[in-house]
Amino acid sequence: MTSKAVFSTIRRSLTKPRGGAVSRGHHLSTSAATASESYASDEHAILMKGVRISGRPLYLDMQSTTPLDPRVFDAMNASSIYDYGNPHSRTHLYGWEAENAVEVARIQVAKLIGASSKEIVFLSGATEANNTVVKGVMHFYKDKKRHVITTQTEHKCVLDSCRHLQQEGFEVTYLPVKTDGLVDLEMLRESIRPDTGLVSVMAVNNEIGVVQPMEEIGRICKEHKIPFHTDAAQAIGKIPVDVEKWNVSFMSMSGHKIYGPKGVGAMYVRRRPRVRLEPLMNGGGQERGLRSGTLATQQVVGFGVACELAMKEMEYDEKWIKRLQERLLNGVREKLDGVVVNGSLESRYAGNLNLSFAYVEGESLLMGLKEVAVSSGSACTSASLEPSYVLRALGVDEDMAHTSIRFGIGRFTTEEEIDKAVELTVKQVEKLREMSPLYEMVKDGIDIKNIQWSQH
Amino acid sequence: MVDKAQVISLCRSLLRAGRQYPDYNIREYAKRRTLDGFRMNKSLADPSKVEEAYAEGKKQLEVVERVVKVYLAYPPKTKNIMELKLQ
Repeated sequence: MTSKAVFSTIRRSLTKPRGGAVSRGHHLSTSAATASESYASDEHAILMKGVRISGRPLYLDMQSTTPLDPRVFDAMNASSIYDYGNPHSRTHLYGWEAENAVEVARIQVAKLIGASSKEIVFLSGATEANNTVVKGVMHFYKDKKRHVITTQTEHKCVLDSCRHLQQEGFEVTYLPVKTDGLVDLEMLRESIRPDTGLVSVMAVNNEIGVVQPMEEIGRICKEHKIPFHTDAAQAIGKIPVDVEKWNVSFMSMSGHKIYGPKGVGAMYVRRRPRVRLEPLMNGGGQERGLRSGTLATQQVVGFGVACELAMKEMEYDEKWIKRLQERLLNGVREKLDGVVVNGSLESRYAGNLNLSFAYVEGESLLMGLKEVAVSSGSACTSASLEPSYVLRALGVDEDMAHTSIRFGIGRFTTEEEIDKAVELTVKQVEKLREMSPLYEMVKDGIDIKNIQWSQH
Repeated sequence: MVDKAQVISLCRSLLRAGRQYPDYNIREYAKRRTLDGFRMNKSLADPSKVEEAYAEGKKQLEVVERVVKVYLAYPPKTKNIMELKLQ
């Protein structure tokens, strides 16, 4: 009955907007935190999954995905209409035109990372690229090399590929990270063995945003002549990436993290010195035999344009995002204490701010922040109630890990959105702390860790 | 030769076109990027550089006008919280 009234209200508002607040009486208890803000027109309310919000939340989740840049959209439209030929058809104009479009995109991607266009392989995303490299390299060298080194904070696809390799009989070392999220170079040096076939360290972490010391790791790998793979999905277009300076042999890139389309990614495979890998997708031998299958021309074109844009706008975006990050952090720190930034603040990509709020319960914080689209933990692990493995690897306590919120700032974020996010977060945290007996105890000076809880 | 009046007219056209985006974030970005773009190139002395920047601006204007038409053909069904607040 209630939902029928609400839906009929929304239907009416779509055809003829009216100024009356028809559905104000139907409050749901879950949205009590947000319904207290009364907006001028309640008819735009959205009812989904039992939660009622008055409008689209503001988007602060740039690490999980980014909106499509209109310039990328424009290029993709033209390509969808005209470049429908199969880029691998050699015999007619349609194939030649599509192939041209793909080659242009290849050059655009290669320029962003300082590589040659012959070293770029397009595939369906960074997950596929990570799988191909980790499994492909080790399978190729399986007679001589049986050991892989990676870190505990890698993306799930890399960790899962390594687990798959372990089941096949390879050995994997998961390097622990320091409390600021960076890899310990001495530990890396010590774990290198004569039969190490691959070192995989991601450039920018998707959960905490720390930037690993790529040049140093590259130097260590070069010394020992081990191929170096990096998952740069969160790094390209955001921090300067150079495959020569970093001495990487493989790099995974993703389209939808740099305002490009979803479903496309690229893999950089070094040609000098040559590194070999066994393809995951067998077939007609497209993409140098490393990834067979017809390319989705308009996706690839979109990815290329997104890379070119990212190269042009990198400095401008960086300045803007850094400014917004400082505004967010200072805004929250002014009003609240007990705010911890997870991961190193110095070696960090500015657009990723992962904060933990002490003495606040994580689920209820997220429930109350329904007007801000943020994420807690990463999208890959938020289905389970387990705290994120990345935060656990940093040594963050379970209760702090549960209350971590990841704010993702991007090219299209505005100052007003940041101010509103600060306002909502502060209000929600203060409200939860008000209700929290633990916080009262802390304010009285009791040390929570040393309490002897009595058994009733 | 590109003169001051043409540059100002281009800036105004870009701003006017960008104002039509139905999406809040992209609309704000278009305004900010246009103004910052023209501001950054304000002190360009080399006439060939000025021509280049003007041509680039003209190209961007074409893109915006095309894209806005498509965006408006699929109007959004819900309003952004930021737009509601501003009411």
